[in-house]
Amino acid sequence: MTRVLEASGMSVAFAGIRALDNVSVSVAAAERVGLIGPNGAGKTTLFNCLLGILRPDAGRVLLNGVDVGGWPAHRRARAGMGRTFQRVELFADTTVREHLLIAERVRNGTGAFWKDLIGRGRPTTDEVAVCDEVLELLGIAELADKPVESLSLGQSRLVEVGRALMTGPQVLLLDEPSSGLDRDETQVLADTLRAVQDTRGYAVLLVEHDVSLVADFTERTYVLDSGALIAEGSTADVLADPAVRRAYLGSFEVT
Amino acid sequence: MILASGFFEDLFRGILQGTPPGAVYALIALGFVLTYKTSGVFNLAFGAQAYISAAMYFKVHSVWGWPKWAALLVSVFVLAPLVGLVLERAIFRHLRTASAVSKLVVTIGLSVALPEIFNWAARFSAVAGRQITGIVPDGAGVYYDPFGVYRFNRDELAMMAVALAGTLLLAALFRFTMMGLSMRAVVESPRMTELSGINANRVSAFAWALSSTFAGMAGVLIAPRFNSLSSGDYFTLVIIAVAAAATGLLVSLPRALLGGLGLGWFIAVFNTFLPGLADDHTWLRPFQENLTPSLPFVVLFAILVLWRAVGRQREASDPLAGVDPPPPALAALERHPRLTLFTRLFGVFFVTVVGLVVWFRADVLWMSLVTKAVIIALIYLSVTVITGMGGQISLCQGTFAAIGGFTVFQMADRFNMSVLAAALIGAALAAAVGALLSLPVLRLGGVWLAIATLAFAFFFDAVMVKFSWVGGGSTALLTGTQVPRPLIGPIDFASDRAFLVLAVVALVVVSVVVIQLREGTIGRTLAALRGSEVAAASIGISAARARIVAFAVSAAIAGLGGALLAMHQQNVNYALNFAPIVALFWLVVVVALGSRTVEGAIQAGAAFALFEPLILQGELLGWIVRGEERLPEFFPLSGNWRLILFGLMAMQFARHPEGLVEHGKRRSATRINGWLEAREARA
Ligand SMILES: Nc1ncnc2c1ncn2[C@@H]1O[C@H](COP(=O)(O)OP(=O)(O)O)[C@@H](O)[C@H]1O
Ligand SMILES: [Mg+2]
Repeated sequence: MTRVLEASGMSVAFAGIRALDNVSVSVAAAERVGLIGPNGAGKTTLFNCLLGILRPDAGRVLLNGVDVGGWPAHRRARAGMGRTFQRVELFADTTVREHLLIAERVRNGTGAFWKDLIGRGRPTTDEVAVCDEVLELLGIAELADKPVESLSLGQSRLVEVGRALMTGPQVLLLDEPSSGLDRDETQVLADTLRAVQDTRGYAVLLVEHDVSLVADFTERTYVLDSGALIAEGSTADVLADPAVRRAYLGSFEVT
Repeated sequence: MILASGFFEDLFRGILQGTPPGAVYALIALGFVLTYKTSGVFNLAFGAQAYISAAMYFKVHSVWGWPKWAALLVSVFVLAPLVGLVLERAIFRHLRTASAVSKLVVTIGLSVALPEIFNWAARFSAVAGRQITGIVPDGAGVYYDPFGVYRFNRDELAMMAVALAGTLLLAALFRFTMMGLSMRAVVESPRMTELSGINANRVSAFAWALSSTFAGMAGVLIAPRFNSLSSGDYFTLVIIAVAAAATGLLVSLPRALLGGLGLGWFIAVFNTFLPGLADDHTWLRPFQENLTPSLPFVVLFAILVLWRAVGRQREASDPLAGVDPPPPALAALERHPRLTLFTRLFGVFFVTVVGLVVWFRADVLWMSLVTKAVIIALIYLSVTVITGMGGQISLCQGTFAAIGGFTVFQMADRFNMSVLAAALIGAALAAAVGALLSLPVLRLGGVWLAIATLAFAFFFDAVMVKFSWVGGGSTALLTGTQVPRPLIGPIDFASDRAFLVLAVVALVVVSVVVIQLREGTIGRTLAALRGSEVAAASIGISAARARIVAFAVSAAIAGLGGALLAMHQQNVNYALNFAPIVALFWLVVVVALGSRTVEGAIQAGAAFALFEPLILQGELLGWIVRGEERLPEFFPLSGNWRLILFGLMAMQFARHPEGLVEHGKRRSATRINGWLEAREARA
């Protein structure tokens, strides 16, 4: 199996505190991988290092076998990494469709300053069609013209997923997509994610608190605790591991 | 003590000479850091606060004839803390959740308005030659020479003694009092303060009073070194404080103290050695003449650009970010289509009526004022691009405009070039300078970016303008920086009417360009960056590239506008039109009225150019009551009112960061929407 994403030996320290300690993860093409761990375990930090928002103190990141360690975040994104954020990061004063349109424009790279000047910079019908297709897929087509300020948290998370999808990712990093959602919303989100992944076929690395979602969605799982990997393997095995359950101190029940 | 003469003696003398002013810089830097860390306000009005105390001291001592100690008591220990308290209570307490940049804009407004308010309230006018005497008797006269290389006068000794006392006092306060402990907690970790039950409002009020006292003390101490009492000199003082504070990354009080001293030494040593060097190397001479007054700006710029830690310190943009929730997002506005139609129609109608009245009824003076308003509106579109679209505060738009103006002057003067062609070259040149400047400063972001552009504006003002290939040198002194009006074939724009048409055409073209850019890829890219930089990166947007483009476009627009303004006035009039302080004004007017939209810029341009004649001189009221003789007696109002209102406008801005026009539009749109919908529901 080819590895889409392969990170090895990632270490980060914040003011002396080790947020990541020699962590290695890898994701194969079209694979669904989970990453769990208690709050403050370093999951978001790992995501930031993978995308290049944060420079790790040590470690290598390979994307499709290419070392992207020195690349800035935007270049990694163009090379095939998409992500969502634990604390929703949307563009204020912009509609849902516009979020996807700008991502599509950046992906297809047809924007140019001179085109803007002569009024050719507006979204084309093709671009709108592509975006609307994704919105349809996510089931939020009716929100297309809404400003993002008017959305619920669940809807906002879907917009983030849609925006990430527009970049045509080979691997999608999802950071706690269900946090702040109620049970029904989480269910809708899980169904949507599965449907999208089935049609589009990219790999997913899912950080999640909701263990049932992880158990449901992923094939393989990593467990992070205090910056160190404490377990990895098939999701079922990992969730049954007593060490993992101890790390969580019974904060979830799997039967 | 005898030192080996020569280099070391000079160095030593420089250091001694730099210590007294360095001590005052340290004092003011301490105060600056104190307010910054306790309330998140990057207080550019700090110099204005220092000015108020110095002016009050002068008034009480030299005008009323009170003894010095009483004058000191009134100005530094009563008035200064009072000013700090009032500012904190009335303004900054309500702005805790505002962004660091909007707080900065408020302080810019205050830095202009506060001295005017004081001058008006105290009937004080800053006449040249009114020098303050120091706080000790016979301050400039009695010398003391401990090392045999430099003679301190009494004023200088007083500076050092008071600064030392102030520092020790602050240290004792921090160490031994409850308030000091709370304050130290806030300074060290604003995030923890709320959790540990410290009343942040009280701490911040106290810090404002205390830091304002420091500012007042520094203001009085430094006054004898200035030739006259002018608020401009005090604005420079705050730049020095910022430079000193920057060396401590705005967080460390001891380092701010050292930074202040260090700056004093550096400037004095620099001034000791450069003249000698310039004697040997003649090419240094213009630099020596020009660089000396702008040294603080150069140092500040160098610190910001060269010291990588400043750029990396993200938190510096807002130390309270972790404490306060982000401000609520603006209520989303979906306008009723009929309302949009109505506003458009009204806009067209209004512009047509004004156009007709100006065309047929205006005299030469009014024609000229309206033309100026149109050109200023064009320049303001450059703020729309960089601030409204790009989300960055640039305080050197006046410099870009000046580049346009000077290019036209030079090209016409030296090569007899057509001024319209020269205007395009000027715009291109401004764009190039803007792009080059953006490379080092963009990394900074937020407040630091604004400060770096301000330092650049002052550098251009103090150094570049003096070069004859920029500001004209001796030619300009003799004949002024004259610029002819353009001539296209048979059309001679020497006619004011024809020139007005040209200006309007230029404004329309630039407006259309700005709208196209906003709707195009670059505009939407910048909107994404404004919303969330990390999210923008996550979809592949390169922040640097988009922002360099924004800077260049903005500079080009300003350059074009500056060129037009120079043609209009047939003179560059640098000091009046483009000086750094004027650009501060521009920024506040535009962002206060609305930097997001083209209308906002146009309204701001009209407000800037027409407010004084229309409202203050009473022209409008005179027209309404039909006849100047019927105007109430207090007209014409003093021009200072403009500055005072301007300060008030800046404060309004912080409460409505989308701009007053936009705010008003939103409010009325919500109301009218509701009304229209209710009617439709009934029908
Ligand atoms: N920018 C930062 N500065 C200092 N510490 C940080 C920063 N970001 C994260 N941390 C710390 O690193 C650790 C891991 O955080 P994070 O990756 O957000 O955990 P998770 O996402 O697993 O909940 C935490 O202890 C957190 O406090
Ligand atoms: Mg997290």
